[in-house]
Amino acid sequence: MSCTRIACLVLLLIAMTAGAAMAQDDVVIDFYFPSATANDAEGIFQRYADMFQEENPGITINSVFSGSYTDTRNTILTELQGGGAGPDVAVMLSIDLYSFAEEGYIVPAQSFIDAMEDGDAYVSDFFPALMANGVDEMGTVWSIPFQRSTPILYYNADLLAEAGYDAPPTNNTELVEIAQALTTDERDGLLVPVAGGFPIWMYQSFAIAYGRNIVSDDPTEVYFNTPEAVAAVEFVRSLGTDLGVGPAGGAAWGDTPVAFLAGQAAMIYHTTGNLSRILDGAEFEVGVWYLPSGPAGEDGSGYGSPTGGGNLYIFDDGSKSDEELDAIWKWVLFLSSPQIQSDWGATTGYIASNATAWETEPLASRAMEYPQYGVARDQLQYADKEFSSYATITIQGIINKTLESILTGESEDAQAAMDAAQAQIDGILAEYK
Amino acid sequence: MRAQSPRRSHLSVLQPYLLIAPTLILVLMFNVLPAIKTVYDSTHRPARGLNAAGKAPDYVGLQNFRDLFDEAHYMGTRFQRTLRNTIVFALATVVIGVPLGLLLALLLNHKQPLLGLWRFAVFYPSLLPLIGAASIWSFIFSDSIGLANAVLKSLGHPGLNWLGDRNLVLLSVIVVNIWKQAGYFMIFFLAGLQNIPRDIYESASLDGASDRQQFTALTLPLLRRTLLFVIVISFIFAFQTVEQLQALGEGGPNDSANLLLYLIFQNISERRNWGYVNAMTIVLIGVVLTFTIANFLLFERDESN
Repeated sequence: MSCTRIACLVLLLIAMTAGAAMAQDDVVIDFYFPSATANDAEGIFQRYADMFQEENPGITINSVFSGSYTDTRNTILTELQGGGAGPDVAVMLSIDLYSFAEEGYIVPAQSFIDAMEDGDAYVSDFFPALMANGVDEMGTVWSIPFQRSTPILYYNADLLAEAGYDAPPTNNTELVEIAQALTTDERDGLLVPVAGGFPIWMYQSFAIAYGRNIVSDDPTEVYFNTPEAVAAVEFVRSLGTDLGVGPAGGAAWGDTPVAFLAGQAAMIYHTTGNLSRILDGAEFEVGVWYLPSGPAGEDGSGYGSPTGGGNLYIFDDGSKSDEELDAIWKWVLFLSSPQIQSDWGATTGYIASNATAWETEPLASRAMEYPQYGVARDQLQYADKEFSSYATITIQGIINKTLESILTGESEDAQAAMDAAQAQIDGILAEYK
Repeated sequence: MRAQSPRRSHLSVLQPYLLIAPTLILVLMFNVLPAIKTVYDSTHRPARGLNAAGKAPDYVGLQNFRDLFDEAHYMGTRFQRTLRNTIVFALATVVIGVPLGLLLALLLNHKQPLLGLWRFAVFYPSLLPLIGAASIWSFIFSDSIGLANAVLKSLGHPGLNWLGDRNLVLLSVIVVNIWKQAGYFMIFFLAGLQNIPRDIYESASLDGASDRQQFTALTLPLLRRTLLFVIVISFIFAFQTVEQLQALGEGGPNDSANLLLYLIFQNISERRNWGYVNAMTIVLIGVVLTFTIANFLLFERDESN
């Protein structure tokens, strides 16, 4: 019995080796992707790979699930720094650009775009806000938007209506007024998930709404101690203290949508990545609107949220043949095509990253049925770059720790804490000037 | 025959080395070399700035360690706070968790109804996968939907932000750790207790020794080796804690509940920090080694007296 089993195993191995040998002439593209949302990302990517391989005989896509975004980055860095091959294409955070460009592991998509006949049309179809993190200060395009998101305001329309509000808040004054009106002993009026390790993303929404983002196009500059930056964090802190519409120190990321669905929070700030889950899970009418504007523009210009999510990166240390690079770019073009973006957006809830995708099925029907999807897209006109600079991970860490210390009341003097952080950040960035 | 004997003796000299070679090679590759590299890297700093990827690291002597102990340095701030937390965490586990394990073992060492059930209930947490158990606790501790706050609210208390309040997160992590490990420690104590012959207790009772006297004069000294073992492993475990933190607040706001190994893990993503990561590793190993050796020496000395 066991002998037969071993024989079978040996035969199987031989068959697999033979199969690999037969496919040897194919160009094989190693494609790494992180966990998307709770959906079956592995199944979806396999489906895309099958579609692509059918259209492009001679190219094989080897899809590798590589854990969380952090796991993916660490896996790739470890492989490359240890002299390994690494991926050919990977989905990584859009803010990872400088970490990888700095190391010389990735190549700009620009050279491929320049070689295209309709390169300009290809680029201009992407929403400009989603391109911001993929372009360097010289205007060179490095990475292509793939699975993108932004924070938006979710509100329990039934609760708002009960309290006499027909429309969601559009500025911070209304936000506070409605949140206070809806706060009870059992319920928070507004949850902003700034607790739990990563406050910078939500915080950036407020910094932008107060009139100045903490980053610009220059990856050697960070603006963390400006009056706008300080006022923004003081406002977020006051939500849990003086204004009393949420927990002191802010809500935790994962708890926030759960509390919202359970009716224990009237309004929340959260990612569009959770839109499908919230729409499916709610037993009340879910409203979605732009993040309310701050003092920067009561006229509406003070709207603003950062973008988030992952881009497609191309890896080459200069050793890849033209044939391989050609196949790699075909795969990137395929994944960023309106057809796939429409499918990916409708299946996962990520914002499809080019305008044409929204007129393509299945997303076109889905957006028609649920206008909430369109809100996330329309907010993009006010969205701005997510935090990214040289030494991104280290500097992001400094900002996160400083925000946490201010939000939890450990540092009462926000300005002083942010000045100290800015000094540390400037010290690091000086190495890049 | 005669010609063969020197060759045979040659072989027999080599034989033991050949036999241990596979293990030796593995230990060299996966233990000794990385350890040497860690020491080397802790005195170096990866090249920084633009186009630094191909450049060799710079020798910086003990500067990485100096930065770690500089409160104004971005890594120093985090390291010192985390080191303090780790010591508090380890002491709490040892001072509360170990006696609790002993107490549970004493309670469950006597014949009583449903003994198996009680032992299972106490030991059960150690069977759960750590990350799963910590995730369950993260729900219990959740601010808005958690069981802990539901209980507090039913008692008229407004509830606590267990994983968001900088003064509470470390406590929450300690509670989970003790809950998880007390039953595990209990098993060692139970085994130790059952190795103590019953008749010495009987003669002690006949001589009129109270329960307390029996505990301090018989049980505790006879459990000495078990106790040493449990204290040392609980301390080492405490220094190796990573998984719980991933589920319970990821180190808390501004590192208020961060522990050393998790901080090291958090900083491997960026090459510029590798010098610090290695320096922190050396501090970590230094603390654990010092504690372990000190413990053994103390107990051994006591033993020989």
